[in-house]
Amino acid sequence: MAKRFRLGAAALTIGLLAAACGSDGDGGGSTEETTGGTAAAVEGGAITIALGSEPTSLDPHLVDDGGERAINDNIYETLLTRDAEGTLQPGLATELPTQVDDTTWEFKLREGVTFHDGTPFNADSVVATVNRMVKLVADAKTDNDGFFGSLTGAEKVDDTTVRIMTAEPDGVLPARMYWLKIIPASAEESPDLSDAPNGTGPYVFDSYSKGSQLKLTANPDYWDEAPAISDVTYEFVSEAGTRLAGLKSGKYNLITNLAPQDVEQAPAAAQVQGQEHPILILDADDGITADPDVRKALNLAVDKDAIAETVFGGYAVVDKGQLLSPSILGFNESMEPYGYDPDQAKQILEDKGLAGQTIQLVGESGRWLNDRELLEAIAGFWTDAGLQVDLQILEFGEYLDVLFDRENRADVIYVSSSNDILDADRQLSTYYQAGGIGSSNSDQELSDLIDQGRSELESDAREKTYNDAVQLAYDNAYFVWLVNNEDLYGLSENMSWTPRVDAKLLVKEMSVTG
Amino acid sequence: MGRYILKRLLQGVVVVIGVTVFVFVVTRLVGDPVKFMLPLSATEEERAARRSELGLDDPIPQQFGRFVGDIGRLDFGESTYVRGEHSLEVVLDFLPRTLQLVAFGMVIALIFSLPLGIFASRHPGSWVDRTLTTLSLVGLSMPQFFLGYILLIVFTVKLTWFEIGPGPWYTNLVLPAVCLALPAIGRLSMVVRSAMIDELNSQYAKVAKAKGLPQRRVVGVHALRNAGIPFVTLFGWEVIRALAGYTVVVETVFNWNGIGFLAVTAIKNNDFFLTQTIVIVVAVLVVIVSILIDISYKVIDPRVKLG
Repeated sequence: MAKRFRLGAAALTIGLLAAACGSDGDGGGSTEETTGGTAAAVEGGAITIALGSEPTSLDPHLVDDGGERAINDNIYETLLTRDAEGTLQPGLATELPTQVDDTTWEFKLREGVTFHDGTPFNADSVVATVNRMVKLVADAKTDNDGFFGSLTGAEKVDDTTVRIMTAEPDGVLPARMYWLKIIPASAEESPDLSDAPNGTGPYVFDSYSKGSQLKLTANPDYWDEAPAISDVTYEFVSEAGTRLAGLKSGKYNLITNLAPQDVEQAPAAAQVQGQEHPILILDADDGITADPDVRKALNLAVDKDAIAETVFGGYAVVDKGQLLSPSILGFNESMEPYGYDPDQAKQILEDKGLAGQTIQLVGESGRWLNDRELLEAIAGFWTDAGLQVDLQILEFGEYLDVLFDRENRADVIYVSSSNDILDADRQLSTYYQAGGIGSSNSDQELSDLIDQGRSELESDAREKTYNDAVQLAYDNAYFVWLVNNEDLYGLSENMSWTPRVDAKLLVKEMSVTG
Repeated sequence: MGRYILKRLLQGVVVVIGVTVFVFVVTRLVGDPVKFMLPLSATEEERAARRSELGLDDPIPQQFGRFVGDIGRLDFGESTYVRGEHSLEVVLDFLPRTLQLVAFGMVIALIFSLPLGIFASRHPGSWVDRTLTTLSLVGLSMPQFFLGYILLIVFTVKLTWFEIGPGPWYTNLVLPAVCLALPAIGRLSMVVRSAMIDELNSQYAKVAKAKGLPQRRVVGVHALRNAGIPFVTLFGWEVIRALAGYTVVVETVFNWNGIGFLAVTAIKNNDFFLTQTIVIVVAVLVVIVSILIDISYKVIDPRVKLG
């Protein structure tokens, strides 16, 4: 009797587990760039999007936050936009800006555009937007100093012409204007706009219940082509497994940050080579990594292809020896990755008498995609090359203390660097330029090139300068370059969308089929 | 009774003050919310400017003085994560979902654990008893996130009976409540079972039976009332554990975002103000629940002297 029951209980448990682990009988996942059958797009379809995090504010200027952008990119618009390849295009401006002098840029504005509350969009709106941002930066109220700290003000020429001024010659200005969301003139003095989002974009704010849902509806008066999707609901789901469960159950049409290991499980998936680059910063001034030959050996010892395949499930492209993605102006096409040559790496380290020496590798776990696995793989490669690896996987706050410590640079620091505005300057001045908060070299020539790139106003010349800068860093092996991750999204089968290199979730580019 | 409650309330205030000071010290020791607020690429100057804007570069005693003064006015400070919102308002936005979840979960636990425990105690060694013991062991030893995912995969993904995230209780709250309740049912029914076995074997129960009282009355009135004390103690403890811990996992897995989920977010982002507020609010709730438990002792057993 008793025995039968234990069996019964065991059978029940196994049954539950089997149901839990059972594979999809219904065809499995497909992984095309976009999906969607032959059926025509439904006019006025409604979709639900699961974001990995809730916006920390709905003010378009205060925070630097992916949740805020995912939503506000549909409500607000910017003077310039980017096309699918990442090239700057006119947005609320009718053409790319022209220069009046080294520190003044002139924009021509689109006519007949209104904000959601009916206020017209014109030069006053742009002046108000720039003034508000200048003040927020001065008062240390915004997280976006880094993007807009160079602005000094704006002036109206006439209703459709506006000039924007910078403190120094600023080649990044057009990219900044792809990032600065335009608000109505009446909002200039408001300390916080999060309660009443009001832009010119294709979607109008409908409702928001904190911690639960946010809804937008299509803007009937949108100046450009009317969007196909009429209603969009956002939910905020921090757990990857829960997002996937919601996608599979049919509740969500689109989920962000699909894990590479879950692609097969998703009804459909889409990917694009984005801006995320895990990279190792080497201390070029002190310690075991001060010798350029050692830094090269550390590059040669790592099998980048194996990392792309195993750590990132094939959803990553090996970096061409630079932190920039191909979609960024300044990406140097002529460069190639350091090859994988463990024997040569080992030989170099032996010749230098470093076999068995200890090297510090500092990282964290849980913040970036498969970070622990990546760090352990790197430690393995360097151990094979004959080094003793002191791998320190820290809690994120402690890790940031190491990354930001300007006095004592760790031998090697792992970071995953992204590029929001798709401009080379911020990424290079943070990690490549001497004195940058994440940099570990004191190369004056490199530093000068980066300064020169920032103030260069002509884009061909800027490109050339950055090409030289990344080549110089490559020749000195200031980093171990690894891979460029692909951004992965899970889609429902009826969803049609091609992800963008700038990771913007523009609902106007999406459609659902019947 | 009134005096007793007053005394317990005063003790509760002392507890909450103690917790508040403790949390203030610990969060300040842990570090700097500005690290998490600004993008990685922000310069040291930008960070310093923000710290000064928030008053975080003031000496700790000065910050503490301000903190005490503010709390006196029920101002818990602005959250640094949910930007520009008062911490207490953020917590009150998220709290109802946690209260719904805990209330629903505990009602389920109550409804199932009592009859199951009583039935098992009436028939020790029977197949029902053995199944119950086995299942409660499974429920107890299974980590809640694992149990949560099994429920999610079976009932949401495969059967699509329920949904995740916000929504009406009958489609969206049942699963998380069951996930919260299952381990509690395991623990509670075992307590009911053993307490009832003790009571039914005691002298008074035998006398009651001997004088011809129907079994239903012996079990339902005499034994159950006496078994009530350990049950209520454990039940209160389950409520407290749910409020102050288990909801963290359950809310995250089922995306029913309440203060458990909020606590994790606040801690991850070193949001002092939000973390403090959550801890204080939970401490107040725990004090209230424990006073209610004490009062219920008196209700169940008038011989109990409070004080």
